[in-house]
Amino acid sequence: MCKCKLFVVSRDVVGSSRSLRHRRCSLQKGTKRPKQGARCSERLAPSFINHAVQARSHFSVVQASRSLHSSSQSLAPVPSLPEKGGKVRHGIIPEELFQLLYPKTGVTGPYMLGTGLLIYMLSKEIYVINHETFAAASIGAVIIYGIRKFGPSVAAFADKLNEDKVAKAQEVKDLAMSSLTQATEDEKKEQWRVEGRSMLFDAKRNNVAMLLETNYRERLHTVTNEVKRRLDYQIALQNLQHRMAQEHMVNWVEKNVVSSITPQQEKESIAKCLTDLKALAKATHAKATA
Amino acid sequence: MALNFFDQFMSPVFLGLPLMALALTLPWILLPTPSSRWVNNRLLTLQGWFINRFTQQLLLPINTQGHKWALMFSSLMIFLLSLNMLGLLPYTFTPTTQLSLNMGLAVPLWLATVIVGMRNQPTHSLGHLLPEGTPTLLIPVLIVIETISLFIRPLALGVRLTANLTAGHLLIQLIATAAFVLLPLMPAVALMTTMLLLLLTLLEVAVAMIQAYVFVLLLSLYLQENV
Repeated sequence: MCKCKLFVVSRDVVGSSRSLRHRRCSLQKGTKRPKQGARCSERLAPSFINHAVQARSHFSVVQASRSLHSSSQSLAPVPSLPEKGGKVRHGIIPEELFQLLYPKTGVTGPYMLGTGLLIYMLSKEIYVINHETFAAASIGAVIIYGIRKFGPSVAAFADKLNEDKVAKAQEVKDLAMSSLTQATEDEKKEQWRVEGRSMLFDAKRNNVAMLLETNYRERLHTVTNEVKRRLDYQIALQNLQHRMAQEHMVNWVEKNVVSSITPQQEKESIAKCLTDLKALAKATHAKATA
Repeated sequence: MALNFFDQFMSPVFLGLPLMALALTLPWILLPTPSSRWVNNRLLTLQGWFINRFTQQLLLPINTQGHKWALMFSSLMIFLLSLNMLGLLPYTFTPTTQLSLNMGLAVPLWLATVIVGMRNQPTHSLGHLLPEGTPTLLIPVLIVIETISLFIRPLALGVRLTANLTAGHLLIQLIATAAFVLLPLMPAVALMTTMLLLLLTLLEVAVAMIQAYVFVLLLSLYLQENV
């Protein structure tokens, strides 16, 4: 069921309200197409406005089929909005008018029509120039100046609002995707790590064996040292005893020998030494003079 | 039949049928309906942004109780703004130039704020009749003055809007008439008058927006006192 809403097409600064119109237009695929020249607003107004418009309309428009809910159109899936609004010339006159008149009157047709209408209304005094004309001119100038100056920036601002909205949602989606890819990579890494687990265990086993070996060797070393120390002690002890015995013996022999030397023997030995010395002196003296 | 300057303020009637209802309700058509789409066209985006920002800013100083009035304020603002701005177009009737309409908006809303205050926190509301830090001698005088000021509020609200818009429209008409009449006589002076008219039109655009805003702002202030 096609729900048509009542709204007036406002051709304003941002120019995209016609997009809504076109959305509605595109829904009417199942219905009879109105004649090409029909203004879009007439296609969309609901039935009670239709009758009023039709009475004054220059174009014949088939409207009845839509209001009878006879088409099989549905609202889902929602048809996409057109990118841009309907084309307009000079800000308010739809391009369709120019297309309509082009075959018969060429490029200048609509302009002649406008000028003619204006002159007709002025000359027949349907529209009288009065003070309101001045007021209209001034408010028209203000409006046109405002639209020309601020139109693009306002449109850009509106676009930016929409883009920010989409970007936020996109960011959430991107974040989710990146976190999921990251999770996948982490999982792959974990799997690779699991493969290397046996190597890890071997290495650990080697480590432990080495530690044990080292420990054993240290203890062996300690034992050896201790044993050697004890044996050295015994050796030193024996050496000491041997030396003490030797010294004791030497002292005893010396003492005995010294005590056994009589004074007679002492004199004899001194005289011998003297005669030996004299003989030696003579020999050296003879060697020196020779 | 020549128009005098005050005919623009007469309530419009066509073939005996009053058109006031149309004048009040048709501006609503110009505002796009919010759609069920997530990303809308520019007009709808801007409208939604404007209403959101405006309501947020307006309700900032008001406590949670007063947030019930959000819809009232935002719709009142859009209503007055659209009526005022559309009235600047030629040959249009501006409903807000009618004192009856503005008083019809101001008195009930102001009274509502007062009654809300008196019902929920009567002491606090009555306390507003005496500003802080007044010398003791002045208290009776000040209470009388504050009461008068309290009752003047709806009058001021309504008359402010009416007077501003009526004066603006009258000025536009007068200066436009001056320019129109001077054109065949002294074109140079007519040119200067037209320049003046342009400036005045700019001012009127500003006034239209500001007056709507001031109306709603003052009401929010009265609500803030009482809620």
